[in-house]
Amino acid sequence: MAVTLRSLRWAVQHLSFALLIYGGRFGVSLGPALPCFACPYVAGCGGYCYLMGLQGYIGFGMTLAAVGGPRLLAALGWLAVFIMLVAFLGKACCGWICPFGLVQDWLTALRNKLGIRERRLSPGAKSALAPLKYALLVYLALVPPLVTIGLLPEDFSLPFCNICPGKSLLPLFVGEARYLGLDMNNFVTFAFSLTLLIITGLMLVGMFFKARFFCLFCPLLALIHLLKPLTVLRLVKAPELCLGCGNCRRACPMAIEEVYQEKISPDVQTGECLNCGACLEACPTDSALKLKFLKYGFSSSRPGFGGLEKKP
Amino acid sequence: MSGPASNERRERVIKKAADKAALEMTWTLERLRGRPDRKPAYDYFLKLAADGLSPAKAAERTGRPVVNLMCLQAPLELIHAAGFQPFKVFSGSPAEGGLAAQGFPALMCPMLRSVLGAVQVNRFPGSAAWVLPTTCDWLVKFPEMLKLAGTEIEAPLHWLELPHLKDGPEGRERWLDEVYRLKFFLEKLAGGRKIDRRQLRASIAVYDEAWRALGALAEKRRRGQLAAPWFFLLTGAFFLDRPEHWSEAVRRVLPQLEPGPEAPRVFLAGSPIFLPNFKLLWLMEEAGLAVAADDLCSGERLLPGGVNYSDASEFGLVSALAQRYHQGCLCPTFIDNDRRVNNILGPARQGDFKAVVFQVLKGCHPFDLESLTIEGPIRDQGLKYLRLETDYSPEDSQNLLTRLEAYRRTLGEDHESQHRP
Repeated sequence: MAVTLRSLRWAVQHLSFALLIYGGRFGVSLGPALPCFACPYVAGCGGYCYLMGLQGYIGFGMTLAAVGGPRLLAALGWLAVFIMLVAFLGKACCGWICPFGLVQDWLTALRNKLGIRERRLSPGAKSALAPLKYALLVYLALVPPLVTIGLLPEDFSLPFCNICPGKSLLPLFVGEARYLGLDMNNFVTFAFSLTLLIITGLMLVGMFFKARFFCLFCPLLALIHLLKPLTVLRLVKAPELCLGCGNCRRACPMAIEEVYQEKISPDVQTGECLNCGACLEACPTDSALKLKFLKYGFSSSRPGFGGLEKKP
Repeated sequence: MSGPASNERRERVIKKAADKAALEMTWTLERLRGRPDRKPAYDYFLKLAADGLSPAKAAERTGRPVVNLMCLQAPLELIHAAGFQPFKVFSGSPAEGGLAAQGFPALMCPMLRSVLGAVQVNRFPGSAAWVLPTTCDWLVKFPEMLKLAGTEIEAPLHWLELPHLKDGPEGRERWLDEVYRLKFFLEKLAGGRKIDRRQLRASIAVYDEAWRALGALAEKRRRGQLAAPWFFLLTGAFFLDRPEHWSEAVRRVLPQLEPGPEAPRVFLAGSPIFLPNFKLLWLMEEAGLAVAADDLCSGERLLPGGVNYSDASEFGLVSALAQRYHQGCLCPTFIDNDRRVNNILGPARQGDFKAVVFQVLKGCHPFDLESLTIEGPIRDQGLKYLRLETDYSPEDSQNLLTRLEAYRRTLGEDHESQHRP
């Protein structure tokens, strides 16, 4: 069977899932600055999502308490590692590596297998939801310092993890279901665990009926996008070649309109793009779309429609 | 005048036109058969054309009832999935056009005029239904004109109201409704048998393969290995057999192709060219011009193809088809068709050709206007541009040839050898 962009991505996603969910059991430790949902709540995982670090011991909150100390240096060091990983991998972190992304893709594959229609959001609803991931980013960065200075109790120290469906769902793959339960320790933990349960339920429904539904809210996606000027992996368009067929819009799991609409600029690396390459494979026009990694990459082509095989 | 005498006279005129149209086809096919670049793999297509461009033949060959179509907007996959053979109704016959000439406007789309004549000579019997999109004014008036000509379509007629705005969600949604209406019509026509997603996926795969074969053929032509008359014979035969057979036959042609004589290579745009009227193609060859590519709806745009879907539900598949046949269509009938010129300028940048010939069939107003609007962008790109206005009659051949030869001279020596390696 020919290696296509789609099959390559599918293979990388599964490999990454195995490494990040089970890698720790085989001695793999990729550190706490991974730009994807490698959830630390999964026992024996192969690395940690940077969002936990950002809220926790390498984040703004804890370093505030240790300005000038070695912890600050560690925080800056891991920040540098995170930035380098994002600069190198860009949104491929989301489209190719994120284990939670793969879980969503499995749900989409299941829905397709059952022949159930996808529910797409209207452009209005999408643009209304777009700022939410940035709001979550602000929330997860600013609440921990309030814990540090004593304005909030300790239970607020991981405010995003406490409501993240990655925490409730990914541990299921190692047989751990306790994060789906209610934490009756105190009112705050109860409120967080109840919120997580509700969000998990809503997300499961959302992710089943809409491809990559959670990514619409993901603060890590927002953070990676903020580092866009540093990234070397880019989706670019040759608007002068585009025939406006709309295949890219239809193929996109995030239902991005901009790639299709763009008529002037080559930069179509939008905030929600996952660099998954689905638009590229769906584009039947030679060289109209490219997924570029420095000077290398995949390019859309009529012979490559539905399964890009070769590099340009 | 009415009565037996006039009926008899009418019968005589119709028979004469039918005989003449048959002769036109014979003459075109004979000319093709006599070419030195004829390959054994072309015989399949020559035979299809020689057997007659009729839905009855297509029904017999495919074992499926035929649905007659005009233009490119009715999704072929949907019709195929309902168990029918789609058949594009066309005519390039001057004789059939001549039959319909009386009583209609002098400046009338020659293609529609010839189709009117073809209906009069009863070339399209035996179809289960007709599906007509409201692509242009001539098409909208087609049934009325048939009545005026004293005939009519016997099978059920289904209209698809085409939204002429395609870039926005409103047009998209209205067109999806139309495609769903077509689906219900086809299901009723099939005796209530529902089109399910398994059939749709299978039909999409069948037409995807045909589209890929067409793409491979077009690529050969871009490399100077396929002369335009052969290309248009192959595309003209598409609806006469099962698409799978056509694709296989095209795949047999591909390895037999080899570089032809070198000639300045041009892009052919504008109104479609249909069998048996290869007038412009013969004249271009005579003038020493080779067609490297085209965007004719009877040529490279024959199949919208490239239908992708990420939602494999029935709704997802029907939506994908609707969008592909609407947004992906570059017909000048659309209002927001500004990206259409990219189809010419893109390959031109890759060095496939440096000149454009735009054919306007007299009376085809959308293409007539488009020939004027795209001239500027084409010339700005440094491409030579020739607009030719013609019809199906052979009278203007010498005039066209003179213009094509003069155009050929303006292309200069550097266009002598443009074959890609």
